[in-house]
Amino acid sequence: MNHMTTTSTTPATPGPAAGPGGTVLEATGVTMRFGGLTAVRGVDLTVDSGEIVGLIGPNGAGKTTFFNCLTGLYVPTEGTVKYRGTVLPHRSHLVTKAGVARTFQNIRLFANMTVLENVLVGRHTRTKEGLWSALLRGPGFRKAERESEERAMELLEFTGLDTKRDHLARNLAYGEQRKLEIARALASEPGLLLLDEPTAGMNPQETMATQELVRAIRRQGTAVLVIEHDMRFIFNMCDRVAVLVQGEKLVEGSPQVVQSDERVVAAYLGTPFEGEPGESEAAEVRAAEAREAGGTSSSGSGEGKKEGEGK
Amino acid sequence: MTPTTPTATADKTAPGPVPGLLKLPAHIARWATLAGATGVLLSTFLAWTWTAAFPGNLTVDLYPGGLQVLALTGALLTLLFALSAQGVRGLGWLTPGGKHSPVLLLALGTAATTLYSVAAIAQKLGGLVNLEPGGWIAGIASVVLLVGALGLPADTPGDAVRPPTSPHQRLLHSFKAPTPERGPVLPSWAEILIIAAVVGAGLEVFAYGISTPYGELFIGYLLTTGFALAAITRSGLNRRLSAVTARHRNVTVAAAFIAAFIFPLTQTSEAYATLGAYILIFATVALGLNVVVGLAGLLDLGYVAFLGVGAYAAALVSGSPYSTLDVQFPFWAAVLTGIGASLVFGVVIGAPTLRLRGDYLAIVTLGFGEIFRIAMQNMDGTSGPNVTNGPNGIPNIPDLEILGFNLGEEHTILGFELGRFSNYYLLMLIFTGIVVLVFRRSDQSRIGRAWVAIREDETAARAMGINAFRLKLMAFALGATLAGMAGTVQAHVTFTVTPTQYKFVEVVPPNSAFLLAAVILGGMGTVSGPLIGAALLYLIPEKLEFMAEYQLLLFGIALVLLMRFRPEGLVADRRKQLEFHDTGQLDVPKAGLTKAGV
Amino acid sequence: MNDLPQQLANGLLLGGLYGLIAVGYTMVYGIVQLINFAHGEIFMIGGFGALTAYLWLPENTSLVIALPFMLVFAVACSVLVGIGAERFAYRPLRGGPRLAPLITAIGLSIALQQAIWAFYPDGTKSRSFPQFHGESLDFGAFTIGRGDLFLFVAAPLSMIGLGFFVSKTRTGRAMQATSQDPDTAKLMGINTDRIIVTAFAIGSAFAAVAAIAHGLKYGEVNFKMGFIAGLKAFTAAVLGGIGNIYGAMLGGVVLGLAEAMATAYIQDIPGMSQLGGGSWKDVWAFVLLILVLLLRPQGLLGERVADRA
Repeated sequence: MNHMTTTSTTPATPGPAAGPGGTVLEATGVTMRFGGLTAVRGVDLTVDSGEIVGLIGPNGAGKTTFFNCLTGLYVPTEGTVKYRGTVLPHRSHLVTKAGVARTFQNIRLFANMTVLENVLVGRHTRTKEGLWSALLRGPGFRKAERESEERAMELLEFTGLDTKRDHLARNLAYGEQRKLEIARALASEPGLLLLDEPTAGMNPQETMATQELVRAIRRQGTAVLVIEHDMRFIFNMCDRVAVLVQGEKLVEGSPQVVQSDERVVAAYLGTPFEGEPGESEAAEVRAAEAREAGGTSSSGSGEGKKEGEGK
Repeated sequence: MTPTTPTATADKTAPGPVPGLLKLPAHIARWATLAGATGVLLSTFLAWTWTAAFPGNLTVDLYPGGLQVLALTGALLTLLFALSAQGVRGLGWLTPGGKHSPVLLLALGTAATTLYSVAAIAQKLGGLVNLEPGGWIAGIASVVLLVGALGLPADTPGDAVRPPTSPHQRLLHSFKAPTPERGPVLPSWAEILIIAAVVGAGLEVFAYGISTPYGELFIGYLLTTGFALAAITRSGLNRRLSAVTARHRNVTVAAAFIAAFIFPLTQTSEAYATLGAYILIFATVALGLNVVVGLAGLLDLGYVAFLGVGAYAAALVSGSPYSTLDVQFPFWAAVLTGIGASLVFGVVIGAPTLRLRGDYLAIVTLGFGEIFRIAMQNMDGTSGPNVTNGPNGIPNIPDLEILGFNLGEEHTILGFELGRFSNYYLLMLIFTGIVVLVFRRSDQSRIGRAWVAIREDETAARAMGINAFRLKLMAFALGATLAGMAGTVQAHVTFTVTPTQYKFVEVVPPNSAFLLAAVILGGMGTVSGPLIGAALLYLIPEKLEFMAEYQLLLFGIALVLLMRFRPEGLVADRRKQLEFHDTGQLDVPKAGLTKAGV
Repeated sequence: MNDLPQQLANGLLLGGLYGLIAVGYTMVYGIVQLINFAHGEIFMIGGFGALTAYLWLPENTSLVIALPFMLVFAVACSVLVGIGAERFAYRPLRGGPRLAPLITAIGLSIALQQAIWAFYPDGTKSRSFPQFHGESLDFGAFTIGRGDLFLFVAAPLSMIGLGFFVSKTRTGRAMQATSQDPDTAKLMGINTDRIIVTAFAIGSAFAAVAAIAHGLKYGEVNFKMGFIAGLKAFTAAVLGGIGNIYGAMLGGVVLGLAEAMATAYIQDIPGMSQLGGGSWKDVWAFVLLILVLLLRPQGLLGERVADRA
């Protein structure tokens, strides 16, 4: 029943090969159903090493839900997610351990911990000093703590937060909080970084700074998959863009291709178009309403668009 | 009618000093304060009453006794701080932060103590006629003091947009104090001396509190000490001190332990050493609960059951004639048994529950606490297999002999007499040390950070690679182990273990509700917090027996009020003390547990 | 008598009692995610309210006549306490960390127990509750006491009434909406504060009914009766699926039956001869809770709680 077509893309410009090349993320047929509601339907997406891939779509299209499926927060109803060729387990801490890190749409920092502590927590999965080590405080423990702190400070310098290392996360300015989230995610040394609307609520300068940061992240060898609404950001940054509408991938390609696709414009504006995802459900609803209103007469099968009617 | 002439009104735009509750000219307020304090001071050297029927020997001139000593201390402190607020040379160090607000608090404390004493005398002896002139002077002087202090201008300018106007607002505002700047860093030896002096003073205050022989004195003690501590906080001395201790953390902890060690040696009466031993047990268990609740944020409502598990395990292997096991383990083996047993139970209870939502843990642990007690009670041979001797428990637990040293007997060391409870106190102190060590070391480590992260936002913590279930189980099991360890000593101190000792709530600690209250009242996540909370919660019901009937009622109400008005407890979490870090950050949140969303 | 039909009857009645109390827990938890520890005491106060009403009526009033007055007054007392708790203890803490209202609830629970202990005449002991006179009703295979008739009638009636209220009335539907997604409910114009108060009120009313049933069954009320009953009722709520009112009743019945069976028959299992009987029934209830949490944590009928991720 899939009316859609996906346009395939010209291969992305290969990024600098800092880490092992090849496909970093391979999501196949990811579907997420909540009872009667299908939030994500059969989405395929790949991210290669050194790429920055954008994921756009109108609000409610299922982008964050898709992220949650990738990172184990939700267990997808169908489909597989592979990282560097291995299937990812369905537990978020194991996903992070494997090398996929993320930020959140609504900032989820540890508000009452300092900036440094937030990043140190991000390093949790790359360190192993357990309870015994902490209690006995051998030389290994001190060394590990020192290294963690050094590494964390490096990340803070990288994101420009080193002067605020002992400030409480809750006391940071909004833009700095977003940066801290990124620093924290980077602390787990991921091969793939998932950014969920990193520039939401930012002014143009902050957005530019974030762009620089993401480019620097790519230079370091981490692939990036970013959800965004800021089209300029997408245009400037992404090698490839995928468009999600009502849980389905509508289009994928280079930013220019996607931007000029009429269907994408229509989806954002809410005007109906041919092959629109969810069309069949909308048709059913219209038919049912018509039946109720019209009584006995079997009204139309629901094709034919009503003026001004959205999705 | 005469035309209205424009009256000269105070310039409303310039934020002048906000007056106190009573609108007095500043210099009158100051003189009244000084005069009142001096009056109270002098009055304590007179007799307050004519009969010794009121305890404390307040009948002799020039010899302050009982409550008079407290009033004297309060008045003296008030004078010192008032003079410091005036800018008297040499006393400036007392008030780096607020100047008038500590004076107000001290005045309130002094007046409260004095007026309470006067009222208590009148109430106990049946009428104000029983007061000697000294008592009258004390009463009048404290009123003068109160009036003066309430008229002192506030320390901070009011909010320019909405200045405090109503009396209620002015009163609340007069308690506010500005944050002091960072103090000078003194040479190490000086700072260590300061630490030693403060710890010593703390020991004196604590020992005084424990050894108050009658209820009225204890109330006066609470009043004086409470207001004095609040005043010290407002004056900024508290923060200066925190900075010093932060620079010499290990010295502070060592000093505290030395002070704790000395405590039983200072007690002439064994009764107070007994109190000390019981308080120490309670405080240690509270500290163990602090790992579970304060660090990892897990609500355990049946914690006392783990204490019981350890105690019963130790009792069963202690060689008591009533134990159903015919063995007598050496002490170290008994401790290991207790630890092992409580660890097992901790894992058994925690493993199924910690995967689920946090509220379930509360109910399950509450249930476990009850079940433990019921099971211990039932296993007496008739309602159940005879393991624990049922409601009679296991009495006659023999005293420990460690390295030839029998703790049940009196010993004299270096001229100090150590009775039975003093011996056990010292033994328990070692275990307290272990618990403090475990607490601090786990707090400041990767594990501790992970615990706090889980507590802050479990989903985000998981996204950072933290295996939340494993870490929560670790915290829970660790807490259980610590309680079990404490239980092995408790069994010997009380030389009987019975099921009724381990309830959810009752008047005498330890019990789960009081343990939780001690942690919360004292301040979660700190070391000194639960210790102070435990001491208070043990001493208050102990000393104020005349309120026995209403104690639990007041306890319940106190919990509700505590959560409403001061959920972070008495001792602030170290994160709130970040303003003293080298970065000089002063934007610190007001409370540990704060309202609202992100 | 130890035969099966009698045990089933006992279990069913006991279960109905637990279920009525459990409804209150589950409704409140479903909407505000708070375990109202004081709910057991609301139950207890309902019982004392009924007793007080009875004592105010002229002596020798027949219980049948007195019962409606007792019911009304008991419900009034419980609802008053429940709404008061919500308004003054819990509401100011909404939006804060989850620990605070839990501790408050514990404090409230202790305070209420002690208030009755200290201030109610002879509150330190069990007070005897009026009983129906006459023989137990013999149904051949089992007998039930006259007092149990009240529960037999009241419990199903209440559940039916509640079911109707929740699905057919505006307020009831608003309650469902609030418990699923409070923010959206607010956006839809639902006064969530009022809904929360209603939830507390209904839960308290049910507890009062349960308290009368308890008094009629056991012949007494005492200040401690809310503690264990509350614990078990919450177990029942979890058993049935927290937030689900039918689950609460079902969980209660299952728990009651399990308790009756355990009390009667565990001792017949070889090796467990000393673990049956009344003194161990609470233990078995707890074991059941652990098993449910291990094997089916969402409960028999599934949870209905707002997702507060």
